[in-house]
Amino acid sequence: MRQRGFPLFPLVRHTLLLAWAAVTLFPIYWMVMTSFKQAAEWVTWPPRWFPHEPTLVNYVKVLTPGTSTFELGRQTLKILKPIGDSLIVSGIGSLIAVLLGSALAYSWARFGTGGRSYPYNILSIRMVPPIVIAVPFVVYFVTLRLLDTYTGLILVYLATSLPYVIWMMLAFVEEVPVELERAARVMGASRWKVLRSVVLPLTASGLVVTFLFVFILNWSELLLAMTLTNTEVSTIPIQLNKFQSANEGRDYGPQAAIGTIATLPVVVLGFLIQKHLLRGFSFGLLRK
Amino acid sequence: MTAAGAPGAGRLRRWLERERVFKWLPFVPVQGLFALLLLPNFLLLVYLSLLSWRITRGAWWNAAFTGLDSFQRALEDSRFLWALARTFAFAAVAVPLELLLGFGLAMLCRRSFRGRRIYTSVFLLPMMIVPAVVGYDLSMLLIDQGPFNQLLSLFAGRTVTVRWLSEYTPAQLAVIGADVWQWTALTFLVFTAGLAGLPEEPIRAARVMGASRWQIFWHIELPLLKPVIAIAVILRSMEALKMFDYPMLLTQAGPGNATETVAVYLWRVGWEFARVSDAAAMSLILLVAVAMYILVAIRVLRRERRRLTEEGAV
Amino acid sequence: MAGIRLERLGKVFGATRAVDGIDLTIPDGEFVVLVGPSGCGKTTTLNMIAGLEVPTSGDIWIGDDRVTDWEPGDRSLGMVFQSLALFPHMTVFDNIAFPLRVKRVAPAEIERRVRAVGDTVHVGHLLAKRPATLSGGEAQRVALARTLVVEPSVFLMDEPLSSLDAKLRVEMRTEIKRLHGTLRSTFVYVTHDQAEAMTMADRIVVMHQGRIQQVGRPLEVYGNPANRFVAGFFGVPAMNFVEGELHAESGGARFVAQALGLSLPGQRLGSGPAVLGVRPEHVRLVSAGESWPAAVSLIEPLGDATLVFLDYGGPSSLVAKVDAEEKLAVGDRRSFTFRRDRIVLFDAATGGRLST
Repeated sequence: MRQRGFPLFPLVRHTLLLAWAAVTLFPIYWMVMTSFKQAAEWVTWPPRWFPHEPTLVNYVKVLTPGTSTFELGRQTLKILKPIGDSLIVSGIGSLIAVLLGSALAYSWARFGTGGRSYPYNILSIRMVPPIVIAVPFVVYFVTLRLLDTYTGLILVYLATSLPYVIWMMLAFVEEVPVELERAARVMGASRWKVLRSVVLPLTASGLVVTFLFVFILNWSELLLAMTLTNTEVSTIPIQLNKFQSANEGRDYGPQAAIGTIATLPVVVLGFLIQKHLLRGFSFGLLRK
Repeated sequence: MTAAGAPGAGRLRRWLERERVFKWLPFVPVQGLFALLLLPNFLLLVYLSLLSWRITRGAWWNAAFTGLDSFQRALEDSRFLWALARTFAFAAVAVPLELLLGFGLAMLCRRSFRGRRIYTSVFLLPMMIVPAVVGYDLSMLLIDQGPFNQLLSLFAGRTVTVRWLSEYTPAQLAVIGADVWQWTALTFLVFTAGLAGLPEEPIRAARVMGASRWQIFWHIELPLLKPVIAIAVILRSMEALKMFDYPMLLTQAGPGNATETVAVYLWRVGWEFARVSDAAAMSLILLVAVAMYILVAIRVLRRERRRLTEEGAV
Repeated sequence: MAGIRLERLGKVFGATRAVDGIDLTIPDGEFVVLVGPSGCGKTTTLNMIAGLEVPTSGDIWIGDDRVTDWEPGDRSLGMVFQSLALFPHMTVFDNIAFPLRVKRVAPAEIERRVRAVGDTVHVGHLLAKRPATLSGGEAQRVALARTLVVEPSVFLMDEPLSSLDAKLRVEMRTEIKRLHGTLRSTFVYVTHDQAEAMTMADRIVVMHQGRIQQVGRPLEVYGNPANRFVAGFFGVPAMNFVEGELHAESGGARFVAQALGLSLPGQRLGSGPAVLGVRPEHVRLVSAGESWPAAVSLIEPLGDATLVFLDYGGPSSLVAKVDAEEKLAVGDRRSFTFRRDRIVLFDAATGGRLST
C-alpha cells in the first residue's frame, strides 16, 4: 500500500513503538541489573540504573548447593536443586505430553477417533482454573502417597499440558497432505513406517515448537507446584515464592539473580520458536 | 519392512497395524490418565464439598457427611464473594487493555520497515518470562523509593511517591499492570498473525473502488478478523480469571485483601486455614461461575472453525 | 468513456526491471489484450494503470487526465482480479453494493442499481447468498457485476478466467465480449493464454521481459509476427523453426539448413545465421514439385485435422497440419513443401524478423 497521507507517520509510529519497547524492557533491565548489585546498592534514592560496583556475589550465593543459609538475619534460598527439579518435572512431563498428544492429534486428524468434539472437550480441561483441581488433588495424592513426589507433579503437568499439545499438533498434522501418506501406503509401507518416514519428518519442527511451548508453560507454573509439592520437590517458582514470603526485608540481589536464572533459558527458547509459535496457537482459525 | 523374526512378533505387528487398533493406541494411555487422575479428582471434589472436613480432623473418609453446609457457608462468605467479583473485575480491565494494545502494536508493525524485526522480538519477550518472576520483579520496581516512582517523578516534574504495594487501589492497578505487561505480547502475536492472514486481493479491489483506509478497515478487515479476535479474547480471558502468581508475588494479596483473587483466597482457605471442604465447595461454585464462560468460548471456537472451513477464502 | 495512454512507462523492483519503458495508446472503446508468459510485465503494467503500483518512470493518461500519481479510487476504474476478490463475509448483494456504499450513494438508489446490474449479468437470484456457496461461473458474474455497478470509464481485467474450467471459460469469454459490445467502454485485459487473446482482442499487445514485442490486430500478429518470440507464442501447435544460414544469391537469397535448402527469389535478406519459421498448417504433403523427403514418425488426429510429425533429417521433426481425410501411417515415406508466401525468416541472434 502506498504510504499516502500523513507524512509524519513514520515518526509517530516509531515514537509509539519505542514507548512500548521501553515499557517492555524496563523491568527486565532492572532485574538483570539488580542481580549484579551489592546489597548497599539495592535500594537507593535516587535509584541506581547501573551498578557502581558490579558483582557476582548474588549468583554465587544462590547457586551453591544446599537449601538455605542465614546471613545477617536474612534467609538466602538456594536455587541449584530447584533448577534441577524444574528441569526434571517440566522436561519429563512435557516430553511425555508431546509424545502422547501428537499421537492422539494424528489419530483424531486422520481417523476422527474420539469423535468430532474430542479436542474441544479436552480444551475445556485447560479452561478450568487450576485451584479447582488442586484441592482434591492434594487429598487424592496424600492417599496415594504421591504428594511431594516427582511422579505426582509430572502426572499432573502431563494431564494439563495435553490439551495444548493436542491443539498445537493438530495444526501441524493438518498441514501434512494426506496424499503423501496414501502414496506411501500404496507403495507398501506399514502405518508405522508411514508415521516414521512421512509424518514425523514433516512435523518435526512442529513437535519441537510444541515441546518448547509446553516446557515453558510447565517451567513457569506455580499454583499446582505449590500445592502438590514443597520440600522434596521444589521447582523454581516455588522457591521464588518462598523467598518472597521469607524475606521481610527484601533480599533483592539474590532474588534478582534467581529471577534472571529462571528467565534466561525460557527467553532463549522463546526466541527460537517465535516464528513457529503462531501456527500452533491458531486453533486452526488463522489463514495461512 | 518385512516382518522378520519370530512368528509371534509378526502377528503382534500385524495386529497393531489394523486401523481399528492403530488409531486407538494413543487414546488408551491418555484416557487412562484422565480416568485415573482427573475423574476421581472431580468426584473427590464433589464428595469433599459435601463434608465439613478440616485436615486437622483426621482422615477424610471418616469425616461426617454434612450435605450442603459447606456451600451455604461459602455463599455467605463475603470474603469469597468479594474475591470472585474482584477476579472478574481484574480480568474485565486487563483483557480489553491487552486486546487494544496488542491490536494497536500489531497494526503499527504491519508493513515492513527498518527495525520491525527488532521491535517484534522485543514485544514478544514478556510472554516467555515466568509469571512468578514478573510478579517479584515488579514488586522490586514498585517500592516507594523505587525506579518506577522515580520515572513518574521525572514526568510529573515533582517528587511522586505512589505507594504501589501498600495502598488499596494502586496495588490493584499494579496487579492488573503486571498482567497487561506480560500478556499484551500474546495478543500482539495473535493479531500479527491475523493481520498477515488477511486476503490481499479483496483489499486491493476495495482500493480500486475508491474505499478510504478507514472504510477498508471497518467494512472489510475488521469483519475478516473476527475469528482472530475471538481467539484472543478466549485465550486471554481464560487465563486472566486464573490469576494467582501476580497477587502472590507482587503484593501477597495485600494490602488487606485488595488484590486477593479467588485463586489466592481458595488457596488460603485450603492451605492456610486447612478448611478443605470449604475450599472444595468454593471451588465448585467457581467452576459453575466459569463453566458458563467455558461453554460459550467453546461454542464460539467451533462456530468460527466451521465457518472457516465452509466459507474458505474466496 | 476514456482512452488510455502509456508514455515511457517503467517499473523497477530492486534489481529487476519488470516493465522497461513501454509506450502504448489505447483509443476509447477498444478491447486491448496484454498477453505474454509469466513475468513479462503485463500484470505490473495493469497494476500501474490501476494505481496499485507506482511507476518508477513514465506517465499514465486516462482520458485527458494525467493519473500517474492518482489514488486508485480516484481513477474511475472497474477491476476484476484473478481470484475474483469477492468479500467472503458479505452477501452477493453487499458485495455488489460496496462500491456504491463507498461513494455514499443513497440506499434506495443502491438497491435499484444493484438489482439492475444483477439482472444484466443474470445473478439476480443469487443476491442473498455468500461467495463461498457460488459456483465458479456465478462468482465470475458477481465480480463483473461489482465492476459494472459504478459504470466506470475503463475496465481492467487480470486473468479473470484462469480459475475456470475449459467449458466455462469459453462461455465467459463470449459474455465479456458481448458486454464490451454493449458498453463500448475501454477494456484492458491481461492473460497468458494466446487463444483468449486471439478471440477477444480488438488489438493484442504482446509483452516479453518487460517490453512490448508487437501491437496489432489478432490476425496481423498471427500472420505477420514481428519477431521469433511473437511467432512462437501464437498458434497451437507452435510454429516450426528451422535453424540455418542465409546466403545472398543473384536476384534473391538462399536459405540452407541441415537437411533443407530453398531459394527465396526476389528477396534481399542479407546473409548470416537465420531461423526459418513456418506454421504447421502451411506445411503441405505433396507428391510432385519441389519438395523434401521425410518419414512420418507420429500422427495425432484432432478430428477436424491431423497433425503429422515428419522426420526429414533435421535436428527435430517438423509438424504438419493436414486434412483429416488423408490416409497416413507411421513409417510412411512422404514428401513435403512449404507455402512460400507464408514463410518467415528471423535473425538467429536477435530474433528480429527479416524482410525486404
